[in-house]
Amino acid sequence: MKTKRENALVFWLFLAPVLVAFALVIVVPFALGIYYSFTNWSSSARADSVVRFIGLENYAKSFADPAFLHSFIVTVGYTAMNVVFINAVAFGLAMLVTSKIKLRKFYRVGFFLPNLIGGLILGYIWQFLFNNALPSLGNVIPFLSGLADPDAYMLSKSGTALVALVIVGTWQYAGYIMMIYIAAIENVPVELHEAAMIDGASPLQRLRAITLPMVAQAFTVTMFLTLVQSFKQFDVNVSLTSGGPSTLFQGRPILGTELLALNIYNTAFLSNKLSEGQARAVVFFVVLAVISLIQVAVNKKKELEL
Amino acid sequence: MKKSLSIALMALVAMALVLGSCGKPAETGPKTITIMQNKPEIDPMLKAYAAIWGQANNVNVVVKSIGGTAGAMGPQLKADYAAGDMPDIFTFDGLESYKEWEGVIYDASAEPWVQKTSVAFKYNGKVFGAPVAVEGWGMAYNADMLAKAGIDPKTLVNYDGFKAAFEKLDKMKAELGIASVVSMAASVEMGWVTAHHNFNSLLSNGLPYGDLSVVNDLLAGKVDATRLSEYADWVELLFKYADRSVLLTGNYDSQVGAFATGKAAFLHQGNWTDPNMKAANATFKMAFAPHGSMKQATDGIFVSAPSYYAINKESKNLDLARKFIVDLVNTPEGHNYMVKEAGMIPAYSGVSLKPDGQLSQSVQEWSAAGKVYSWSQYYFTGDFRDKVLNPIYNQFAAGQITKAQFIDQMTKAFIANKQ
Repeated sequence: MKTKRENALVFWLFLAPVLVAFALVIVVPFALGIYYSFTNWSSSARADSVVRFIGLENYAKSFADPAFLHSFIVTVGYTAMNVVFINAVAFGLAMLVTSKIKLRKFYRVGFFLPNLIGGLILGYIWQFLFNNALPSLGNVIPFLSGLADPDAYMLSKSGTALVALVIVGTWQYAGYIMMIYIAAIENVPVELHEAAMIDGASPLQRLRAITLPMVAQAFTVTMFLTLVQSFKQFDVNVSLTSGGPSTLFQGRPILGTELLALNIYNTAFLSNKLSEGQARAVVFFVVLAVISLIQVAVNKKKELEL
Repeated sequence: MKKSLSIALMALVAMALVLGSCGKPAETGPKTITIMQNKPEIDPMLKAYAAIWGQANNVNVVVKSIGGTAGAMGPQLKADYAAGDMPDIFTFDGLESYKEWEGVIYDASAEPWVQKTSVAFKYNGKVFGAPVAVEGWGMAYNADMLAKAGIDPKTLVNYDGFKAAFEKLDKMKAELGIASVVSMAASVEMGWVTAHHNFNSLLSNGLPYGDLSVVNDLLAGKVDATRLSEYADWVELLFKYADRSVLLTGNYDSQVGAFATGKAAFLHQGNWTDPNMKAANATFKMAFAPHGSMKQATDGIFVSAPSYYAINKESKNLDLARKFIVDLVNTPEGHNYMVKEAGMIPAYSGVSLKPDGQLSQSVQEWSAAGKVYSWSQYYFTGDFRDKVLNPIYNQFAAGQITKAQFIDQMTKAFIANKQ
């Protein structure tokens, strides 16, 4: 009896440093954040800077702001496109580098590299590509001359600018997701493929009937990662488009590619409404948590146990 | 029992080690003052000056430079404030950001430098900010190119003057080797050019310095239709004769670069582009012309202090922070830093040095002649300028809305902004 209690004590004591750190950097700020979202807190020395409890005012104001609603729509659209593109490209690349082509080790490293470049720098590099490199290509090659028209630049219209964000997001993240697929594909037992080949299955049939179901577990992980990553996209958004170009929404000109994370940041620091930004962040958290729980549940059903 | 006691003791020691590292070492040696400012381009010069000053006064001066617009420094300042680590001296750019920090800004009315400047930040009759420098913007022009085209810069004082000049230059594009007449940027990223600087033409052009009549009317939701319509003509003119790629997707470098490399005859920027001109080896003659946002002649450019040093009144080393500003204004080392090292136009009398850049000299000439208009854009919140006005300009530039719709959207925005 006594040893059992001692064991429990040792267990909690060893855990204590981590628990304290977790509480200090996650639990406390999170709780404080939720508290601040119900107040008029601004972290500044305004003349009337007394923190007051104002109930749901921040939430009401957020939902009344067309820019916030628009950010929601744009973010959902961006996430949908991004999840599809990243996973399709990553799976394709993984198939490629697990096949028997030459230099596959080299390709693996190459495809993974963009992930090591910071999103801010990446955004500026691609801004140059979209605004300068593509148009000059249009100037040189006759049948691409459409690219040189300033009104056709990808970043000059909000619709195409969103696609540009997806392109950069895919370029940055596909290599990372590819790594997960590689591990999953290499774990598929060779015997299954051999047996199928003896039965005369074509490569496409083997992909559909063996590889895809066997890597379903990886899909759960990659879908989750890409979903969360796309939903939280911030740095590329800032450097590539800064939320622009503008668009008309409910009769008002607003920023056209301002994703949720950027909208929250702008609300908090550009508009100096820290507590309203905090309220938006809480909404953001709840929505993201619900969506990813649903996604994981759906994906889990499709997993196979050998 | 004994065993569990020793375990508990060990745990306590472990905890003490973890938490102990959070504490600060006892302060010894020279005192420290912290300065946070918003011009990364002068960071090395300010650090060098701060080191010299610190050595002379036995103070350790920490300079933090946080980039770009107020939006970039704001978050850092708020984080530091929340952490109880507010700098002793920090910069702010105008009324709206003053209000943000009203509670900690030292009343500097009795400081010796107040008598030496005309552009200190005042509120309710008291002085709260020491101007960092004087800056100005107008329409920067390539004087050599205008001479070649036979255009007298003196005619560039109103809408008609600019319209005639733009039309003439547009016809001579091939001859002059330019891609467009004016280098203008209106992408969302460059919203500070449209919704801050250009917007100010609507607020203060043609009015006596410090006249807030138009600002107050607009803040009250009262829009002068004639003034706004003339202003819309001006914005349309700028957008029409701009290079569309620079206008819609260009960044600061491409906008300034087009002018510096002789690809545009006009530039809608201020004297802070001098270092860029130097870097691009732009040797042609250049100067500022007024904005043509009105039918009547407006013979002056927009000149003011872009930001102010505020002293934190809760600072532990208040006297040292005050002395830093005083010495900056009064010592030859301070003057040398401001004018020669950082290339700024001094905001204080008694400074005999002159900046090297042509555009800075042009601002000084306009200023000396008293032909100046105020900067009034800071009377509108950053929120209003960046999230309401900026998209309207961007829509107009992209041709998504017409001039009539632009006027309508601006009017609606002012009415909705009424408090």
